[in-house]
Amino acid sequence: MKPFAYARPRAVTEALKLARGGATVMAGGTDLLGLMKDGIAAPERIVDIRSLEPLRGWARAKGKGLRIGALVSLVDLETSAELARTMPIIGEALRPAATAQLRTMGTVGGNLLQRNRCWYFRDEAYPCWLKGGVRCFAIEGDNRLHAIVGAEECVAVAPSDLAPALIAYDATVSLTGSRGTRTMPLVDLFVTPHGRVRREHAITSDELIIEVRVPENALTRRGAFEKAMERKTWSFALVSVAVSAKLIGGVVRDARIVLGGVAPVPWRARDAEKLLEGQVLDDAACQAAADAALERAEPLKDNGYKVPLARELVRRTLRRLA
Amino acid sequence: MNIKVVRTKAEIEGRIIEATALVEGRDLAPWGTDSGLAIVGKGHPRVDGIARVTGRAQYTQDLYLPGMLHVRVLRSPYPRARVRRVDASRALALPGVRGVLHRFNAPKAAFRGEETIFRDEVRFVGDEVAALAADTEETAADAVRLIDVDYELLPFVADLEEAMRDDATRLTEKGNVTESGTYERGDTKRAFAEASVVVEATYRTSTQLHNSLETHGAVARWDGDLLTVWESTQHVFGVRAGLQAALKIPYSDIRVLCDYMGGGFGSKGGAGKYTIVASIFARQLGKPVRCFLTRDEENLAAGNRSATYQTVKIAAKGKRIHAIEHLSWSNSGQGRWVADPTGPTNGLYDIPHVRTRSYKVVTSLGALSAFRAPGYVEGTFALDQAIDELADRIGEDPLALRRRHAALQTDPVTGMRYSLKRLLACYDIGAKEIGWQHRKPEGTRGSAPHRRRGYGMASQLWGGSGFPPAYATVHLNPDGTAVLRCGTQDIGTGTRTVLAQLVAEELGLALGDVRVELGDTSSQYAPISAGSLTVSSVGPAVRLAAKDARMQLLDAASGLLEVGATELRVERGAIVSTGRRTQIGEVLGQIENYTVIGKGSRFPNPEDISLKTFGAHFAQVEVDVRTGEVFVEHIVAVHDIGRVINPLTAASQVEGGVIQGLGFVLSEERVVDRPTGRVLNGNLEGYKVPTIRDVPKITVRFIDDPDTKANNIGAKGLGEPPIIPLPAAIANAVANAIGVRVRTAPITRQRVLEALELRP
Ligand SMILES: Cc1cc2nc3c(=O)[nH]c(=O)nc-3n(C[C@H](O)[C@H](O)[C@H](O)COP(=O)(O)OP(=O)(O)OC[C@H]3O[C@@H](n4cnc5c(N)ncnc54)[C@H](O)[C@@H]3O)c2cc1C
Ligand code: SF4
Repeated sequence: MKPFAYARPRAVTEALKLARGGATVMAGGTDLLGLMKDGIAAPERIVDIRSLEPLRGWARAKGKGLRIGALVSLVDLETSAELARTMPIIGEALRPAATAQLRTMGTVGGNLLQRNRCWYFRDEAYPCWLKGGVRCFAIEGDNRLHAIVGAEECVAVAPSDLAPALIAYDATVSLTGSRGTRTMPLVDLFVTPHGRVRREHAITSDELIIEVRVPENALTRRGAFEKAMERKTWSFALVSVAVSAKLIGGVVRDARIVLGGVAPVPWRARDAEKLLEGQVLDDAACQAAADAALERAEPLKDNGYKVPLARELVRRTLRRLA
Repeated sequence: MNIKVVRTKAEIEGRIIEATALVEGRDLAPWGTDSGLAIVGKGHPRVDGIARVTGRAQYTQDLYLPGMLHVRVLRSPYPRARVRRVDASRALALPGVRGVLHRFNAPKAAFRGEETIFRDEVRFVGDEVAALAADTEETAADAVRLIDVDYELLPFVADLEEAMRDDATRLTEKGNVTESGTYERGDTKRAFAEASVVVEATYRTSTQLHNSLETHGAVARWDGDLLTVWESTQHVFGVRAGLQAALKIPYSDIRVLCDYMGGGFGSKGGAGKYTIVASIFARQLGKPVRCFLTRDEENLAAGNRSATYQTVKIAAKGKRIHAIEHLSWSNSGQGRWVADPTGPTNGLYDIPHVRTRSYKVVTSLGALSAFRAPGYVEGTFALDQAIDELADRIGEDPLALRRRHAALQTDPVTGMRYSLKRLLACYDIGAKEIGWQHRKPEGTRGSAPHRRRGYGMASQLWGGSGFPPAYATVHLNPDGTAVLRCGTQDIGTGTRTVLAQLVAEELGLALGDVRVELGDTSSQYAPISAGSLTVSSVGPAVRLAAKDARMQLLDAASGLLEVGATELRVERGAIVSTGRRTQIGEVLGQIENYTVIGKGSRFPNPEDISLKTFGAHFAQVEVDVRTGEVFVEHIVAVHDIGRVINPLTAASQVEGGVIQGLGFVLSEERVVDRPTGRVLNGNLEGYKVPTIRDVPKITVRFIDDPDTKANNIGAKGLGEPPIIPLPAAIANAVANAIGVRVRTAPITRQRVLEALELRP
């Protein structure tokens, strides 16, 4: 491994100063260290942000929704009895994610910013397009785990299970950088690599995620999450689906359908969401929405199975809302 | 002493070998069913269980000697290339780097039929190009990346079916495909013509990686001329032989040790290149040297179970199987041998007309190595599915169909009678435990919407007789405790416990008074811990050694107690004659520090009889037809392996085999990128071994009849049997549940969904 400098600042301003000088941020390190050991990332300087107080802790403030600090560990969210009442979809999404050890080390910020799991990306021997090379090896290679919708030059999929669940609850994310603080819908943190954009996230290298917020009115939503894996646990999603909606008199308002593992970003199936507006969640409506959600799917040579799989998970999660 | 040379034929991993051995004295009469055994046959917890679970057990990977150097291996990034030049100057310039070995500077060292360990032509991604020793593991890892190699790239082929094609790149002069097994009985041509129903199908199995928890590796140290090697191995004597061949030094100068061992599953049969590299560096640099593979290297260059492509044609006449033809191609990678998947087809069922062929296919990938029942797992996956497919076509219950072909008491291949075969009893027990009567030909409704339930089963045939040579020594101390010394090793199967039981039983001691010392070439020879032969090879020799010690003890006691030796016996640590008990320690204590040394050797198997193990697995599964998810609800594993020495360790073998079989059939698949020949998932995240959540309810049953014709303890092997039928049983259950058959292992969601999509 390439030698690197290491700092563990106590203040956000200090961290930002270091970051501006071209450092890489580390939280739990569960993704970053893997990338470094595999020769994919080779930072000169690491800024360990685990001592930054403003990024810690999570709370629900009455009327102000839920605030989750970027440094909160996945296991804290997963095992919280309070959260199981306030926003149970988070526990549902996290329980089958990674392993207990990884969830203990891994943080919310790191989970949202983890790099994709494309096996060509993770093998340093492939100078693939996303890494600055000329071509994508997955398109002609083995792409059973890759995207079925929404991809451009790179067909890797968004791996996080947490992201779809949070996006389905209209979460926002706050970033702080040298040019100040900005807050955006979480869905906009994710970008589809294309053209000159050879990255997966909208954050710049001198910004920090401070926190994620879920608005108060979203907490009244009903939600459901399902994940399909290649074994019963400790696996990234082949497909994951988070849905939510408000049900007013049995009628759907403002549905959210977000898929993981199918596109380079957490994929909002907006056509399907629209279709559900004002509908009663019966079998036919759920099936129609599920069909609509995958209508634009264009599977690659090895991943056609993801289409019926995703369709069914959408249908099932919607059925669970009723 | 009366010493005899014996020659014997025996079967290991489906291959017949000839062995020559020495035996001493006479063999013992086998323990029968009525021998009133006190310790053998009882479920004793492992004698080393506490050491293992508290972390006190020392594995080779835990060994860090003072001043030790660390090796990293530079491996070929290309599937086939000529190494034109190696320049290690940048690496050697790094502080802490002690040496580099490669094809241009390494001493000649014979390895598995080749003259050197660094080939001029590397033949798979992961082939050894150079090795580097440094003060720390980190330095070695960094420095190895600084070795510059000039490669001339050569054409390659990194896929089984591609390599089989006529127009494929030829990797050897003879081509890529060679016949490796052929067998015929009856007249299949005529039989297929006269059959009422013929079914043909193609089955595929994927490359399975061993993923032993402890990777391959060794630590080497020279003290003057004496080379000591600690190695994670299934065969310390095999490592010794490999070192002798490579380094051309005498046996007296080599000692190989393996105490605790973290799994091998067939892949740790002898010295590896890492052993030789560590030994050469240790000699050159005058320090102990450690060379262990990383997980990624392990999954490139430490062996695998061959992927197969198999076609089966099977025919019925009335309600019987009339003929079968089974052709099989195995991806041996750069292996020098290949396993034979047609073994079960030849020998398991009583089918009149059989024709089988198997072929070895070379590819530009890592060599296979033995993997728990090599060939038989893959072959049974095809054979037992084909039988179900035929049963479906003729409208017969697949178990009923098998019964008609499972009763024969002679081995259809050799014509010899079986010593003991209770396959039908396995069927009875398994069918009852799983609730076979609930099976419907079209499957049944599952426990949730869109779920279908199915039942399936498959049979197991394997050897496991064990054979000579194997020797053991029992030292009985003056205080009545004993030490068993034997050159075998406990690879995690419970060998220590089982051998202690045999000694305690025969010598009349408490189990806690017997210590077992294994894994040391300073002991007498014992065979490789593989082929399900450890208990059946070593056990009888151990029993004889204990008996020899007992007879000597009684002779001594007879003199000291002034009672005829024939009137004495040993019981729970005491010498007993009518009306009198004297503790062994009290008797031997009268002689100053005398150690009784008992010796035992393994006698040959009877010549005119077929020694086999049998079994059957039954599976109950559910399949979600919308998501392709397979839920294994219950496995019943029944095995007929002669006497069960320890039901606890035996059950844990079966559970382990079942779980490894579940991985094979549901999730484990090495993925290779064909255009580059690179393994894409050689790690534990991408290569899916089962997790604890994937483990279903497992019911283990044994017939537990001693095979008194086999050997003096009546036991046969169990290491491999419990993985053999599991994949086929699951595949049959899945097919029963969903009405379509997935003929490729592993049966992933992808394959289930694709099969359902194509459903007529
Ligand atoms: C074997 C394995 C299996 C896994 N399975 C799953 C799974 O099933 N589902 C799933 O969702 N995830 C899974 N993961 C991913 C895991 O959840 C993430 O690795 C983890 O959440 C990352 O958190 P971390 O704090 O360790 O991130 P780090 O490794 O510390 O950081 C990851 C990235 O985020 C950046 N970063 C982190 N925090 C901040 C911040 N506050 N501001 C700015 N940048 C930041 C870092 O610079 C780095 O680029 C798996 C990981 C592994 C290794
Ligand atoms: S999918 Fe993306 S990450 Fe994977 S090889 Fe293609 S460009 Fe690289």
